[in-house]
Amino acid sequence: MSTRTGQCMCGAVRFSARDVPDTFGACHCEMCRRWTGSALLGITVPVASVEWQGEAHIRTLQSSDWAERAWCQRCGTGLYYHVTLDGPMSANYEIPVGLLDDLSGLEMDSEIYIDHKPHAYAYAGERMRMTRKQILEKIGIEGAP
Amino acid sequence: MTDRTGKCLCGAVRYTLRETPDAFGVCHCTMCQRVSGGVNMAFTVPADDIEITGAEHVRTYRSSDRAARSFCGICGSNLWYRSTDPAEVSPGYSIGFGSLDDKSGLRLAKEICIETKPESYALTGDHPRLTSQECLT
Repeated sequence: MSTRTGQCMCGAVRFSARDVPDTFGACHCEMCRRWTGSALLGITVPVASVEWQGEAHIRTLQSSDWAERAWCQRCGTGLYYHVTLDGPMSANYEIPVGLLDDLSGLEMDSEIYIDHKPHAYAYAGERMRMTRKQILEKIGIEGAP
Repeated sequence: MTDRTGKCLCGAVRYTLRETPDAFGVCHCTMCQRVSGGVNMAFTVPADDIEITGAEHVRTYRSSDRAARSFCGICGSNLWYRSTDPAEVSPGYSIGFGSLDDKSGLRLAKEICIETKPESYALTGDHPRLTSQECLT
């Protein structure tokens, strides 16, 4: 765990987060793919540990029945994915690692929706890789795409 | 080659391509890292080969002296990058690979700005990996 800082591309939104883990994961689902243009490389950070600056620039959309996504309305940088269903998952943000000022010491330890990843690219290395079915069974969300 | 279509996460912005490129690239510059959340994957098409619907939802940010980046104002999806060089009358669109509905047949051709790629991840393959200096020369 460490404290890390980050910002959107234009710098209108900045944050400082405590209790940031040393690992992150990739989500290859269609929604994350269309949102980012590739895959969501997200790091799980407690909502309560994040201090935002420039919050007036943050815009959100309830992108499904169970989650919302936020971005900077000035430059479009995606800021977080956040489960809005009641439960333990709603206590965290998934923040794209590309926002961090320094990624040193971070390791990608999981890929989910691996069966939805386009064949044209793959991330090197060995890690936990879960299909859509496996991850939905694990987290207990029904009706996800 | 058949027409290909794509859209943002919420579907407010859609496009049809008359010609689909057979390749896409990855940029690891720090601006691309931030706007994509990590690995910016994009293919480039001439402006004449794209038809956009929902253009009223497109928001554009002038990200440098040389370029502008566009996103969907409804869902925040990373849409495309375009040159703002006045010498280019109608610059092409470098469109986020993930927005494409059918990605079959496109191959990863190269990675650029490789010197700023974080050590935390790497893509497989034998494609060229160029530094930003190598891209300029």
